[in-house]
Amino acid sequence: MFARPLYLFASVGVMLLSTFFFLTLMRHGTAEQMPIALVDHDQTSISRRLCHEMQATPSVNIVLITSSYPEARETMQQGRIYGIFVIPEGFYDALVTFRRPHLDFYVTNAYTVGGNTAYKQMLTMVNLISGAFQREVLRKKGLPDDVIMHRIQPVTIEGHMLANPWGNYSVYLVSTILPGILGLICLMLTIFAIGFELKTHTSHEWLRTAGGNYMVAMIGKLIPYTVIYLVLGLGCHLILYRFAGFPVYGSHGRLLLGLVLFVFAMESMGILFIGLLPTLRDALSIGALYAMLGFSLSGFTYPQMSMLAPVKALTNLEPLRHYYLIYVNEALMAAPVENSLPPAMALCGFMLVSLSIMPRLHKALVYQNYPLK
Amino acid sequence: MSVFVTELKRIFRDPGVVVIFIVATLAYPLLYKAIYWNEQITNVPVAVVDLSQSAQSRAFLHRWNAAPDITLAYTCNSMLEAEQLLRNQKVHGIIYFPRDFASQLADPLGQAHISLYCDMSSFLYMKAIYLSCNQVMLEDMRTIQIDRYEQMGVGKDFAWALVQDAPYHETALFNPTGGYGSFLIPAVLVLILHQTLFFGICMLGGTAREENKELYYLPGHRKSVAILRVVFERAAAYFVIYYALATILLGLLPRLFNIPHIGQIGDILQFIVPYLLATIFFSMSASVVIRNRESGLVLLISTSLIFLFMAGISWPKEMMPDEWRYLSWFIPYTWGANGFIHINSMGASLYMTRMEYIALWLLAGGYFLLACVLMLIHKDLRYMSDSHATLQLEPAATAA
Repeated sequence: MFARPLYLFASVGVMLLSTFFFLTLMRHGTAEQMPIALVDHDQTSISRRLCHEMQATPSVNIVLITSSYPEARETMQQGRIYGIFVIPEGFYDALVTFRRPHLDFYVTNAYTVGGNTAYKQMLTMVNLISGAFQREVLRKKGLPDDVIMHRIQPVTIEGHMLANPWGNYSVYLVSTILPGILGLICLMLTIFAIGFELKTHTSHEWLRTAGGNYMVAMIGKLIPYTVIYLVLGLGCHLILYRFAGFPVYGSHGRLLLGLVLFVFAMESMGILFIGLLPTLRDALSIGALYAMLGFSLSGFTYPQMSMLAPVKALTNLEPLRHYYLIYVNEALMAAPVENSLPPAMALCGFMLVSLSIMPRLHKALVYQNYPLK
Repeated sequence: MSVFVTELKRIFRDPGVVVIFIVATLAYPLLYKAIYWNEQITNVPVAVVDLSQSAQSRAFLHRWNAAPDITLAYTCNSMLEAEQLLRNQKVHGIIYFPRDFASQLADPLGQAHISLYCDMSSFLYMKAIYLSCNQVMLEDMRTIQIDRYEQMGVGKDFAWALVQDAPYHETALFNPTGGYGSFLIPAVLVLILHQTLFFGICMLGGTAREENKELYYLPGHRKSVAILRVVFERAAAYFVIYYALATILLGLLPRLFNIPHIGQIGDILQFIVPYLLATIFFSMSASVVIRNRESGLVLLISTSLIFLFMAGISWPKEMMPDEWRYLSWFIPYTWGANGFIHINSMGASLYMTRMEYIALWLLAGGYFLLACVLMLIHKDLRYMSDSHATLQLEPAATAA
């Protein structure tokens, strides 16, 4: 296998590149200070001062101050800002005479993370304006500051983001994406390793080396690959949960075991695909399609509970879905081990499936009776 | 047009390529639409721990339960019980009212607290629970504030002015319901075109190399002229097929799928041209390096996610390290996806999207030259190794 650099490059190189890419891409963890525009229809010295004060607020990133809404909207349509905050005409006059002027703000939902962050920023801006004003009025009435605080906010919500208290995007996405990519490599390389023997008509020689026993041949061929995958899996685990400091509230061992089972399951699916479609390119195409869908079907971004019933059923056919469930149980929920058993059993189930295809694959190896190009 | 016709024949005689070019390109969008069919996440189950057992907390819960985002699935007597439910994934959030919730509200100087615990296994759970709860809380808060001011002897109108001196109105543009599919599917459609072209062309390149064919030997031409013609005519073959596919994916499907489509169809059809050309020449450059037809699939499959993230669709480009952002400028997908979203989902005109449009033409030109140069060098290299005529050919290679 070391004769063709592709094998090594594919598994080690792609995994290293992906790990490096995703960890550095989202190294900030949370999106902050998305650029927004401020439309000042008031155009008074006071509104201008207000604009500059908001611009100086550290959590707010105003990149454009204009008096024209169309200009701001066009800037948004060019993808340069994610929100527009509009101060109406006569704003300050209305505010100080208690006529309650309306503020308007617009966010783009075509980019959800950017839009959400801009939305939070603009809420901060509203609170800046109105909280400061309320406090001023109440102070003039002679109320002490702590009382004022409770008047302004008689109810508070304390949000607790369990297991990811920072709301860190990297923790949330990379924890499933990287194992997913590892699984993708396992699947594709397993198909490639077996399919290549068929394609180059070397399957007889391969079987002879194994003394004619195709199970020995299969196991012998896959052991070196499996070792590489497992080393990569271990590396991935260490990088995420030791080096990058992603939280594991449950058991490291069981999470790692889940990853091992996942690797085996993806290898088994590789055997299944090349067994069903002994033509290398067909098996690879279908395998790629299947593995790519795993990212969406695992439900780590768009939850499985919101999918249509038939799609919901299909999610069970993706090993990544079951690995994700183990990850949630072990890393985030510290749930009892019984909860990780059903997905672990499911991953073992994928291995049994590959056994059922062995006789067919054996025939393909012996007779080479498939279009081999 | 001989090369053009030969290339079309090669494509349609190769079932592997047909599957990728046509079947995958048309089937993928349908699969993704099926996965994100419901767009919204609704009725996220939440557990209630209400130690205050008051009319106020019940009124709060009643109103919150009316929100489509969540459903109050369980009422628990203790946090322990609720945590158990969360651990077992029966609920994805817990709302907790402390014992003094009602008394704090009744006290004109009191501050009442609500605690919210969110499952972070998917950020969409948190968003659904947190935003809807916040909304109910804000409404409640205003009523309480008004009551308190009135108790102080402040008139109702003035109290309102105090409570909400500057009411605000928020408008979500371009994807008013905030649907997940409406956000992701346009980007995925552009990615499908990019990646199927990428794989298909790499497969064809790999096959040609494998069969060791001097496919486009054009007698009577100078080598450089021949290569220009070959690259151009092969690209024309891909372009003809993909222009039809892109019209379906980017022009027709957003309308059929009922995801945002407020752009001018004429602008989209025009924007597709440099996008496809840039992608084709990008892929042709890559295909020169691919040694056999399957390597492409094995190696390049993992680029899909990297391209998607590098384009700044899921993770905003402003938050990326500069190095990745600069690198993303060389990937046609980055400009294609953002430009298409600006035109299709955000209603920008082609003129407003000129930066992406021009960037794609530049990439198309750059990768065209790169593809030609790589082919020239590559063929020389192979010839060299075949005939050992190293010295003779060196000047030619450097001239290229």
